Amino acid sequence: MAIVNITINGRNISVPAGITVLQAARQEGIDIPTLCDHPALSVVGACRMCIVEIKGQRNLQTACTFPVTDGMEIETESAEVVKARTMVLKMLFSERNHFCPFCEMSGSCELQDMGYRFGVDHWAFSTYTKNYAVDATHKHYLMDHNRCILCGRCIRACGELVANHTLGLGQRGSESMINADANLPLNESTCISCGTCVQVCPTGALFYKRSAYMGSDSEMIKVKSTCSQCSIGCGIEIITRGGNVLQIMGDWEGQANRGVLCKAGRFDPLYDGRERIPEPLHRSKDGEENISWAKAMQALAKHITKVGPDKIGVIVANRASNEALYLIKKLFIDELGVSNIKMIHTPAPRIEGKPHGTLSRIAGSDTLLVVGSDPLANQPVAAFQIKRALDKGARLIVVDDENNALSPFAHVNLKISDIGQAVEMASKSPSPVVVYGPGIPAPAVDMLKGITDRANFIAIETGVNTCTARALDVNKGFKSEAVELLLVLLGDGKCGGVELLKDIGGKTFIAVLAGYASELTDKANLVMPNAIWCERTGTLTNTEGRIQTLQSAVEPANGAKSDWEVLQMLAAKLGKKITVSADDVANTLATAV
Amino acid sequence: MAKVKIATDWLGGCAGCHMSFLDIDERIVKLAELVDFTSSPITDLKHPPKEGVTVGMLEGAICNTHNVEVARQMRERCDILIAVGDCATFGGVPAMRNIVGTAAALRRAYIETESTVDGLIPDSPELGVPLETVVAVDKVVKVDLFIPGCPPRADAFYYVLTELLAGRTPVVLPPELFTYD
Repeated sequence: MAIVNITINGRNISVPAGITVLQAARQEGIDIPTLCDHPALSVVGACRMCIVEIKGQRNLQTACTFPVTDGMEIETESAEVVKARTMVLKMLFSERNHFCPFCEMSGSCELQDMGYRFGVDHWAFSTYTKNYAVDATHKHYLMDHNRCILCGRCIRACGELVANHTLGLGQRGSESMINADANLPLNESTCISCGTCVQVCPTGALFYKRSAYMGSDSEMIKVKSTCSQCSIGCGIEIITRGGNVLQIMGDWEGQANRGVLCKAGRFDPLYDGRERIPEPLHRSKDGEENISWAKAMQALAKHITKVGPDKIGVIVANRASNEALYLIKKLFIDELGVSNIKMIHTPAPRIEGKPHGTLSRIAGSDTLLVVGSDPLANQPVAAFQIKRALDKGARLIVVDDENNALSPFAHVNLKISDIGQAVEMASKSPSPVVVYGPGIPAPAVDMLKGITDRANFIAIETGVNTCTARALDVNKGFKSEAVELLLVLLGDGKCGGVELLKDIGGKTFIAVLAGYASELTDKANLVMPNAIWCERTGTLTNTEGRIQTLQSAVEPANGAKSDWEVLQMLAAKLGKKITVSADDVANTLATAV
Repeated sequence: MAKVKIATDWLGGCAGCHMSFLDIDERIVKLAELVDFTSSPITDLKHPPKEGVTVGMLEGAICNTHNVEVARQMRERCDILIAVGDCATFGGVPAMRNIVGTAAALRRAYIETESTVDGLIPDSPELGVPLETVVAVDKVVKVDLFIPGCPPRADAFYYVLTELLAGRTPVVLPPELFTYD
């Protein structure tokens, strides 16, 4: 890489050619103030806060857009620069309403921070006299145009990160406004409620309704964890105050998602109205009784010993942690010799002999073949990456017999029976990527094997933690008939209801570990409260095979426990010395995945 | 050495800034050894003396003709004028009425409020006439120092006054005392 020598504030530095003045300054730890700039977004030079003096240039230049050249002399804090920057800031404050005391984001606002930094203790120009309508039509967030500085971060996030292109800049000059589609109310627009625009907004123009007026940044606790809504395993930041979960933000360092989340990850868990299970409950023909965890374990251990391995059945929801699946293997399969075990979701078939890559392969592909999977409906963050590739000119071939949410964006839509045609088309391109899921039938798998060797495969599992279940070979097949003791590890997901009890005999003892009360827990003989997504600990393996950590952001309600903790207690009760640690899981999976 | 004279007054505000000023607590005794509080809305003498004061402090926004008179009188009678609080520095809460306009705000407040029966917009000649636009104090008279905050912290008042007494003019408050809310 070519290196250029430049001078910033009299310091001689060498930086790679082609980077911007702002990037060069940041590499050297020189702070240039910015508002419209965001590390995950392209540069536009909208706010003018980053202006710097460059010798030989007629005017002050925006550092975020100006590329460095050899011998360039830059001043970032000269009197002229600071004066002009303060002027820019005063003008930003003079347009619309930037009065802090009744703004939701006061204390967490980048514009306010700039005001403090540049000592704006009064407004140089007259200010807010014009009122813009607040768009409160969206269920999850609110758009207050009066607080907007038109930095365009939301527009870029919507287009560049989510590839949804709902937000844009409408009108011109001083009438410029952020518009959703053709200036529609947000709830009537093409918004898919991913909330990424809110996450990048530097001011109080976009904010979440759920957490509004519940405190500023400094009063919140942020815990990094992993989303357990689907197999993509997006990095999240759980934001709490006083033990209440207020927001879920995308973790910019999350490897699968890089800050982006979908509606299911960002909002759905916050609005879960289902009733929790207060404490372990024992139900028999004599009635219901709340019992302690010790007694619950005693009851379960007693039944396990009584019925014997052949009459035990275990059903595991796909959200079970790696630790829980590890313990199921060690305790039930290896120690007790139980073989009647199933996961609620079936894994995607492995296409033998083909390279399986990570989601990041999507970005570099010129032809995407989606088969047996509907990522836009079920794993939206993966679909955003596909749509991003389409924006850059990639072709999309969707092979599905049902309605696929990606079909409207596809260049070619084919039936499964025509997969040969899709394989042929993809084989002609330089860098095809096949995105497939468990919905792919066996003959289609054989056809896919005939694709060019240049193709990369990405399996998108339907189940959250199916990768680990497959690696540990937990899915042993399940026969309901003989079961006299059924243990269901349901977790906090919404799948797995009374249909799991189909063909289960009336005399079967049913034990359920669940986050929320449901028809299934109403029928169970033993109900145990499971820690939910924001409470539980452990790890999950995402569809790419990456092991990711679950951190507890709040104390489990009513003494609920993580799935692996319960299994570990049960093992102890059964007199088996089986425990699990992060290393156990990592080592086991390293050899298996 | 003669004591430094200080006068305060309020415009379209809520008295919160004056309350915050009193929150400097026992330090006011120490301050009283050095300064003479000639007049304020919370003392017997309400108007700054004709012979003038060194420091004048104004709380509240300019909302009506009476506020303009008070601000002008203070400006004429003081050497250093300090705008105190978010209303005096930015327009603050009273300036929110600019969004709907004065006529609509008065109508809403005195006639259309759900609890009002036979409402009447006050129009006594003794009252100041509401302005079309609420503005900060510096839009009407020259202001020398600004102490923003809603209200400004007690320490901010103390800091500014002790700095002035020491012969220094604080340009911008230090970060720990500089707040917009």
